[in-house]
Amino acid sequence: MAEPKTKYDRQLRIWGEQGQAALEKASICLLNCGPTGSETLKNLVLGGVGSITIVDGSKVELGDLGNNFMVDESSLGQSKAKCVCSFLQELNDAVKAKFIEEHPEALIDTNPSFFSQFTLVVATQLVEESMVKLDRICREANVMLIFARSYGLTGLVRISVKEHAVIESKPDHFLDDLRLNNPWPELRGFAEAIDLNVQDPVAHKHIPYVVILVKMADEWIKSHGGSLPSTREEKREFKELLKARMVAMDEDNYKEAIDASFKVFAPRGISSDLQQIIIDSCAEVASNSSDFWVMVAALKEFIANEGGGEAPLEGSIPDMTSSTEHYINLQKIYQAKSEADFLVIEKRVRNILKKIGRDPNSIPKATIKSFCKNARKLKVCRYRLIEDEYNNPSLPELQKYLTDEDYSIAVGFYILLRAVDRYAANFNSFPGQFDGGMDEDISRLKTTAVSLLNDLGCNGLTLTEDLINEMCRFGAAELHTVAAFIGGIASQEVIKLITKQFVPMSGTYVFNGIDHKSQLLSLY
Amino acid sequence: MIRLFKVKEKQKELAENANGGVPIKKQTAGELRLHKDISELNLPKSCAISFPNGKDDLMNFEVSIRPDEGYYLCGTFLFSFQVSPIYPHEAPKVKCKTKVYHPNIDLEGNVCLNILREDWKPVLNINTIIYGLYHLFTEPNYEDPLNHDAAAVLRDNPKMFESNVRRAMAGGYVGQTFFPRCI
Amino acid sequence: MADAAPPSKSRDLDKLLLRPGNLVGPSFEPGVQLRDDLQEYAKVLVVGAGGLGCELLKDLALSGFKNLEVIDMDRIEVTNLNRQFLFRLEDVGKPKAEVAAKRVMERVSGVNIVPHFCRIEDKDIEFYSDFNIIALGLDSIEARSYINAVACSFLEYDSDDNPREETMKPMVDGGTEGFKGHARVIVPGVTPCFECTIWLFPPQVKFPLCTLAETPRNAAHCIEYAHLIKWDEGHSGKAFDPDNPDHMKWVYDEAVKRAELFGIPGVTYSLTQGVVKNIIPAIASTNAIISAACALETLKIASGCSKTLSNYLTYNGVEGLHTKVTEFVKDKDCLVCGPGVLVELDATVTLQKFIDMLEEHPKLLMSKASITYRGKNLYMQAPPVLEEMTRSNLSLPLYDLMDKVPKDILHATGTINKDNKKSSGLRKLRVNFKGIDGVTDMDMAGGA
Repeated sequence: MAEPKTKYDRQLRIWGEQGQAALEKASICLLNCGPTGSETLKNLVLGGVGSITIVDGSKVELGDLGNNFMVDESSLGQSKAKCVCSFLQELNDAVKAKFIEEHPEALIDTNPSFFSQFTLVVATQLVEESMVKLDRICREANVMLIFARSYGLTGLVRISVKEHAVIESKPDHFLDDLRLNNPWPELRGFAEAIDLNVQDPVAHKHIPYVVILVKMADEWIKSHGGSLPSTREEKREFKELLKARMVAMDEDNYKEAIDASFKVFAPRGISSDLQQIIIDSCAEVASNSSDFWVMVAALKEFIANEGGGEAPLEGSIPDMTSSTEHYINLQKIYQAKSEADFLVIEKRVRNILKKIGRDPNSIPKATIKSFCKNARKLKVCRYRLIEDEYNNPSLPELQKYLTDEDYSIAVGFYILLRAVDRYAANFNSFPGQFDGGMDEDISRLKTTAVSLLNDLGCNGLTLTEDLINEMCRFGAAELHTVAAFIGGIASQEVIKLITKQFVPMSGTYVFNGIDHKSQLLSLY
Repeated sequence: MIRLFKVKEKQKELAENANGGVPIKKQTAGELRLHKDISELNLPKSCAISFPNGKDDLMNFEVSIRPDEGYYLCGTFLFSFQVSPIYPHEAPKVKCKTKVYHPNIDLEGNVCLNILREDWKPVLNINTIIYGLYHLFTEPNYEDPLNHDAAAVLRDNPKMFESNVRRAMAGGYVGQTFFPRCI
Repeated sequence: MADAAPPSKSRDLDKLLLRPGNLVGPSFEPGVQLRDDLQEYAKVLVVGAGGLGCELLKDLALSGFKNLEVIDMDRIEVTNLNRQFLFRLEDVGKPKAEVAAKRVMERVSGVNIVPHFCRIEDKDIEFYSDFNIIALGLDSIEARSYINAVACSFLEYDSDDNPREETMKPMVDGGTEGFKGHARVIVPGVTPCFECTIWLFPPQVKFPLCTLAETPRNAAHCIEYAHLIKWDEGHSGKAFDPDNPDHMKWVYDEAVKRAELFGIPGVTYSLTQGVVKNIIPAIASTNAIISAACALETLKIASGCSKTLSNYLTYNGVEGLHTKVTEFVKDKDCLVCGPGVLVELDATVTLQKFIDMLEEHPKLLMSKASITYRGKNLYMQAPPVLEEMTRSNLSLPLYDLMDKVPKDILHATGTINKDNKKSSGLRKLRVNFKGIDGVTDMDMAGGA
């Protein structure tokens, strides 16, 4: 066996050892191991999930050899679950792989408690009726669920989890937490001790921009009745003042200060996203609240009290032109404030836990620390039951999509993916599944789609002939490339859900393999 | 395009006979842009360029600089240029081949010139770089040091700096370091 | 009533290839013939057998293609195994191209994959000319730029500056970084080529050397100091080899020392490798997504079975899920894929005469031209050393200087005098020598 750290090096750089540990603890169940399911699992097995269980009752047919890499000539006639399982095991011996030769629909109907043993279920190629049933089972059992389906040149991915709270959302571009618009006493003190008029040009060009801005903002406040620049004219004037302080053309620290001056102008306090989270009813905690919400409750208290309207300080600073000494000292000042904020929050967390009758030490220090560092970036994702979405999609959204050119193909496919299931329930096969009788299938699918739209309350709206024709042409084909794409997306979302890092998709992702103008539809 | 592929396949033998002996050398966009830079060079008298691999390899060349003023008057300093095939997306790699006592050039020939690294932009060209290098000799600066000792001397005692430079250029020791003659 | 088709490996693909459709490419001719032609006549080259290349080979083999080749110069490493699913631990050290080709052929019967364990520059132009489509699974700008130049060199334009379809060599290109990636379709002459949009690739961040030497502030600064400055000091002349673990350890140790000296936290061996080798994080899922999009587009270009991506797809899974299609436009003056300016000449014209003609040419108006032809500098106006070396060419016929190739591409740099304004310019010229026989319409000689 290879040293796992080396083998997983390229992904550890993304989700770290904690993320990897979460993956290695996870047990995943796959329903149906056609190419969509097989490809989803392949990406997870390579990444080192703990265990996989494949549920599929079918035997390998000749047609499967043309779209699924996990089966070959020698698999013909054998259990598909078994063949796929043994190939996946070959990819990574650290993964516990097993299979159950049974039709998922049967399992859903006869043994709902089966699913409660898993961390997450990946349900592929299910029709609507089974999706709805499975969704209820998993929601009840608190098991994460993700649907994936490939159908000709379309397909969908949909997460179903009651609530997914993310601490480490790791956004790509996020404003750093410098508090230049609201410096605390130690930062102000540090800045005061540095002379902006220092004679030595080397020293002058190595004053960090944070110091320059804190001091200049202070100066401004003193001469402007206590307020920071707010109008466009004032902001321009402030930048001019900065420019006037330069003693040479090549002073990068001053250029950085001018570029970063917007951080001085930015409004104080927390973002509206964070505001939404702290006013969420879950922040009123009780004995059965999750650790996340307990910490949110503590955060809420902090913001209202010690924080003076701000979240705990993140504590890290970006690189900037500076002497090593100034930079390291500045880092220490930010870290100290961050540590102090953390201690306050920790105390509040412990108190809240005691108040709701839980062990005050039940949330580890490291978790609270990570929560504080990421407080400004918290995310809460909630997903409607699929049944609710299907019975009561947000009508204004649906109508908007249907009439928006950018969305029309994607929403058309969304409707048609449901229509083909209704069609199949009525006619025992998908439209165009078999050769011959295409014209009849087309007109039947059209009727089905129109009646579905009526049921959804979109009377009078219809889908284009072209799209209905294409859907019949697809004939429920599971093309390898589409399956690999859908499976890739599904596995990516599984990783985000299990590692509790990054932000999972919301809504329903509808793949448009015609021109790749796929869309995420939010119908709740 | 499958019909085209088919036609092409069928006519392949024919085509092959018709144009055997086509040269295979590919010129990248980077080479072409460099060709433009080089053919538009406008160097001061104190700078000379040479192409050790002949007229058809412009990607590797040398520039010698002989400052006509300042501390380094009369010295000759050789720089090697290595240009990437994705030039000007990436700056050329420039090293000083002559060991020099200079605040902005270290003893291994690394050069601290902003446009060679952090401030490189595709609109700049070879001419700009050579002028930038020339400028380093007429106005060495102690604010961006690579040779810490030389920078400190220049800042605190320009007279001593001057005599150190003269000694190094004439071939001699400055502190523990020997500098070969470059006058 | 509907009939069940006889069992076929092509069960699912047949729905797309055998049935007429409404949202399809202009040249789509569904039928058994199309499926058979794809197998027989479509030859696809996969460049790179890494994270994307492994997926591409599998995807193409399961998309009706039977003639595939793959080129890669690398050997398998342990760090590949988290995503390059065709490789096993026991394959470490073997050539990627060979193992990848073998594994796919083992599992997908009827597919033939020829591996090439070499650099892309080692192959001659005929090698590339043999493929109908080139699929790129690369991680460097240099390699993309090279293949792009090769593929565009086959492109020819007619006398009205319209690209000739039969000379187009389409490419699909993918790239990933962590949870992000892109897939694009390049049809030279129709959609922007790699060079038209090279600005899409952000330049690598480079720290100023004096920051490294004087004011290091973070772990990466300490590592780069050890790598770029300290190494040379300690190893007179010996080149640093990032793949040599002893070298890497040395840099790491030096970086740690330096970090301690300045009180900077965060230097780890893993970060040292990351900074020095510029490691881009990579995972299986993103590679799967991007490769699948590329393979699907390859199938669509070849068969016309659906519309094609026009022309650049980005995927970002960091915060939620975002996919976006952007239609970039060609740079009409692109030196690599653009038509350039057609110049017709007698075979007797000397280089000097030719340079004089450029001054009068209405589409050029270029004075003081320097001329380069396929890497040979025919005449250079400056610097004096090159002018001297090339001066003797001025009296020779251009036809001879161009190796008696009856029509080809050359490039000229000079001063453009337009509307009484002077500016410097670099132009691509399509030179046609009049009255030279032996050129057929099938002539594939081009050049960028």
